[in-house]
Parts: sequence; C-alpha cells; structure tokens
Amino acid sequence: MGTVQIRDVHKSYGPVEVLHGVSINIEDGEFVALVGPSGCGKSTLLRMIAGLEDISGGDIRIGDRVVNNIAPKDRDIAMVFQNYALYPHKNVRENMGFALRQRRVPRAEIDERVNDAARILGLEHLLERKPRALSGGQRQRVAMGRAIVRNPTVFLFDEPLSNLDAKLRVQMRSEIKELHQRLKTTTVYVTHDQIEAMTLADRVVVMNSGVIEQEGPPLELYDKPASLFVAAFIGSPPMNFLEGNLQNGTVLHLDDGTRLNLPVGDRKQRSRVTIGIRPEHFTVAPSGWPATVSVVEPTGSETQITARFAGHVVRVLSRGRTSVRPSDTIHLAFDQGHLHFFDPAPVPEVAKMEDVA
Amino acid sequence: MRAREEGKGMTIDNAPVTGDASTRRLGRIGDLFVRWSFLVPSIVLLVALLAYPIFYTIDISFSHFDIASFGADEWVGFENYREVMGDYRFWDSLKVTLIYLVVALPLQVVLGFGIAFLINAEWRGRGMIRALFIIPMVVAPVVAGGMWRMILDPLWGVMNYWLGFLGIGPLDWFGDPNLAMAAVIIIDTWRWTPFIVLIATAALLALPKDVFEAARIDGANWWSTLWSVAIPLLMPVIAATFVIRWLGAVKMFDIVLAATYGGPGKATNVVNLFIYEEAFRSLRFAESAAMAVIVLILTMVLTGLFLRGSRKLEDMF
Repeated sequence: MGTVQIRDVHKSYGPVEVLHGVSINIEDGEFVALVGPSGCGKSTLLRMIAGLEDISGGDIRIGDRVVNNIAPKDRDIAMVFQNYALYPHKNVRENMGFALRQRRVPRAEIDERVNDAARILGLEHLLERKPRALSGGQRQRVAMGRAIVRNPTVFLFDEPLSNLDAKLRVQMRSEIKELHQRLKTTTVYVTHDQIEAMTLADRVVVMNSGVIEQEGPPLELYDKPASLFVAAFIGSPPMNFLEGNLQNGTVLHLDDGTRLNLPVGDRKQRSRVTIGIRPEHFTVAPSGWPATVSVVEPTGSETQITARFAGHVVRVLSRGRTSVRPSDTIHLAFDQGHLHFFDPAPVPEVAKMEDVA
Repeated sequence: MRAREEGKGMTIDNAPVTGDASTRRLGRIGDLFVRWSFLVPSIVLLVALLAYPIFYTIDISFSHFDIASFGADEWVGFENYREVMGDYRFWDSLKVTLIYLVVALPLQVVLGFGIAFLINAEWRGRGMIRALFIIPMVVAPVVAGGMWRMILDPLWGVMNYWLGFLGIGPLDWFGDPNLAMAAVIIIDTWRWTPFIVLIATAALLALPKDVFEAARIDGANWWSTLWSVAIPLLMPVIAATFVIRWLGAVKMFDIVLAATYGGPGKATNVVNLFIYEEAFRSLRFAESAAMAVIVLILTMVLTGLFLRGSRKLEDMF
C-alpha cells in the first residue's frame, strides 16, 4: 500500500528548527504537491520521506511501516532530483537499470523493465546515449525512467521541472500528470511554482516557514484561502489586497478616505480588515469606483490591466480585448460572491515575486 | 588566457561606439597598449626562466662545450646523443627512474585519494588533520631526505626500532639495493601524498551531492558507490593528478641526493641524479644536455600518450 503518513514531524539543524510539527496523510495513489516559497521546508520534508535527512521528531510511515530508521534504499521509494542526478558516465540504459542491478535482479528482467519504462517515456532510441548527449527534457525523462523502473510504492519529485525552459516545463508537466494517471503511484511533488502544484496535484499542501498554511484540493485553496499567505501565494496574477477599517461590517474605509460599500459582510466582527479580490473578479463597469490605468498587458485571450485605485496598485484581468490605454480612467466593480476577508497583515513578498515569474 | 579574453571583452565594451576616426584610432592604440602591458611581464618572465634555459640546453647538446666561455663551441650534430645512447649507465639510470615511477605513482595516487575519501567524511577535528597533512609539503626536500635518513638509519633509526616490535628486521635500509629503493619511495610518498590528498579533497567536495543521494536511494553500497559513482566522477581529476605527479617524479632528484645519493651502488641512481653528476661532477655538460633533451622528449611523448589514454578511459567509464 502506497500510503504516506507524516505525523508531527520536526526537523532541526543544531539549535535551528526548520520544520515545526508537520502532519500530512497521503492516500494510496494520491498526487500531493508541497508548495511554498524557498526555505519553507518543503524540500527538507521530501528528503526526510526519502531518508536523505534524519527525522528530529515525530514519525513518517510508508505503507504500514515507520521508516524513521530505515535506509533510503529499503523504503521502497524513488526520487527524481532537480538536477536530474544522473550518473554521467553511465548510458541511459545503465542509469535506469542501476538500482535493479544493485538488487541483483536477473539481467533479462532488468532489460525488460528498462525497455518498458523507455517505451512509456519515449526513450527507446536514446538508451545507449550518455546523459551529456541528451537535452534537458530528455535528461528529465531519464530521471523519471530511473524512478519508474523500480516500480516503487512512492514517487518523490524534488522541483523536477525548474531547470527546464518555460515551454518544455509545460510539456513535461502534462507528461508527469499523464504518467501518474497511468501508473497511479502515490506521488509527493515539491515545487515553488504554484501553477505546477495546482495543475498536477490532487491535493496541494501550502507550506510557509516550516508549518503547513493550508492543504486541500487545488481549487479549494484558490477559492477559499485560509490565510492571507495562501491567498497571496496561490493564483497568478496574484490576488489584490485592500486594507481598511470596517464599519457595520459592510462599509470599508480605506486609508485614503475612500469608502467602499461591500456587497457582503465579514462573518468575523473585525474593525480592521484586509479584503482580497482576485484579478478576474474585478469588472470594468461604469457603476464602479474610478481607477487610473498604468499598464495594459494583452495576452490575446485576456488582458491584464494594472491600475491605481485608492492608493493601491490593483491588477484586473478581463477576458477578451479592451481599448483601454495607460492613464485612462476606468471604473472598477467587484464580483459579489468573491470577496475574501483576512486579518490585516503585510502582504507576503511571495505574492509580489510570483507576479514576476 | 582567460584573463586576456576577459580583458579584451571589457575594452570592446568600453570602446566608444560613436566619434570620429581619429579618436577611434587613439582608442585602439590605447587598447593595444593596455592589452600588451598586461602580457609583457609574464612573457619576459617566461622567456627568461623557461625558454632561454631550454634553448640553451638544446644548443649545447648539439655542440662541443667550451668550459672557458661556458657556451656552445662547435656544432657536432648528434655526436653527443650517439655517445649517451651508447652509455649503459644512462639506460640503467632510466631504468631506476622507471621502477621508482611505476611503484611510487600509483601508490601515491591511491593513498592520496583514499585518505581524502576518509577525511572527507564529517567528523570533529578533520580541519586539524587536514592542516597537519600540509606539513610534509612545506619541508624542504633536502631536509626531508636527511630526516628520513635518520629515521631509517639501520643502527639507531626509529623505523627499525618500531619494526623490531613486530619482529621484523633490523633492516639495512640504505645498504640493500631493494630496500634503498623502497626507502626513496617511502620518503617521496610521505612528501607528495598530502598534495594529492589536497587535490582529491577539493575534487570530492566539488562532486555533485545529488548523484550520491540518488545512489543511496538506488541502494548502492559503499563499494559500488565508490566504484560506480565516485571513481568515474573523479576520473578526470585522477588523470590530471597523475600527470602532475608524473612530471614531478620524472625530475625527482633532491630526495635521492639527500637520502641515498644514488646508492648503494647505482640502485637509486635516478636519471636526473645521473645527469646532474655528469654535468657538475664530470663537467660533461654537452652530454648531460643531450640526456636532458632525451628525457624531455620521452616525458613529452609519454605524457601525450597518457593523456590520450586517460581520455579514452573517461569515455569508457
């Protein structure tokens, strides 16, 4: 059974604790993405599942065994590394068969399994090549082939696509998804790219500073972010945030004096609040609040407008095309049902960074 | 080479894109001046210290040597070469050098990389041990030779004293031809292994960690990690180390000079000691020059062969 149970896991390097008690239950065959900014502990957690890092506290179960003190090779896992970690002096066939050879699997069976994996990944014509004679995408496929050949109970991916160019990344992303649908092997996938996490995973675990911020199906995280961090991290372009004082639960006084009548109220009775609005939930409508356009970015299918509104910079995503130009004044209204209320907090840097990427 | 390229790139970037022809010319001349002013010091140094001695040696190897003017006297063609090629002592000394090379080099490389592999593991005090390893390298070769002469002294040397506890000996380190060769190899190994340890440590630290982690997950044990992962990855460095040590070992002569002076008999008379003796004791400078040129050519040819071979080896792995 390919279940992974992570129970209250801690990790310390000397006096510094980097994981502060993380618990995740991963079902058999599930695809779980661990996502978060650099340094949030997601890779450390993955390496602990793999057995490459000691577990300082708590325990990790794979199947029905606690694996805390089991060597990586005996955990029945396979890992795909960010830099592929292929053996540079071995050809593709030897790279993929290495683990089986270490297990003294008969040569004929190794050949068969390597050929099978190569067929699945379209590597058959490359089997005799050395890694240095392969392109980035091919190397990535070999690294996956090396994992498949072992037929493990759990696949671990450590940012496998971050060394590929944008186009190839999208292509490999769907290949990984297809592979998972075909093999149905439990998969834990670490990435800092929320789009990768959203598109691939059955369930996304958002981590920040060594704790889990929220976990759930991708769209649930998108629609109902539990914290400002998750709201800011998930979604691209990121959510817009406006901070102000709330009066009677429905009137927001922004700090520049603008008053916004909110269609729905905050369920918690807060006086100071940050509201979040996704870019696609703004609409350009004559009845809305005035905003000054600063940048217009058409992508063909949709247009992203950056505008100044009540002392804030907001991003608006509108479907289709628009004749709006910079320094024009537009009127913005927001979608009734899609307001998010948070306790006021500084908007995490990740939200701003994601925008660039 | 690299510095030169960077320098070039920089000046091109800084060169004015617009402007009239004369300022552009001036810029070009200034550019050339800057470029050469960086190159000249090292060219002068190389010519004075390397090129001149080599050509001087080649010159006198084809000549009669005039001891009074200390220079080439009369062109004699290959006469000096014919003479040394017919000299059995030259061949004997080459053979001694060869024996020393064949034993000492693999020993040093294996030991060096082995020790590096061990001290590369994380443990307390390894920085200290690493520092201690440098000591043999900073001891002057002649001092090392003298020191080991005392350690290996048959009567009161500490080596025989220790070997006595194991029931071995006493060994006549400098009296027995084989033991004398062993002594030279031991001293040379003591002196040069740390150098290889340093190179190997740097190489090990530079190895990609994730490949080793992949090997751990793939279930490679210590031996197959070493044999199938570490050694192939280290192959280029091992080959380079071999060449560096090979070139150093061919010209080795200081340790022999201090420890055995080629003895007993001619058992440790390496070719460089022989050439040195012929030149500065027998004053046969022209013949010595011829021998030196032969050794130089041999070294170049063998190095070339070795490098080619090691490239093949890299491909094989």
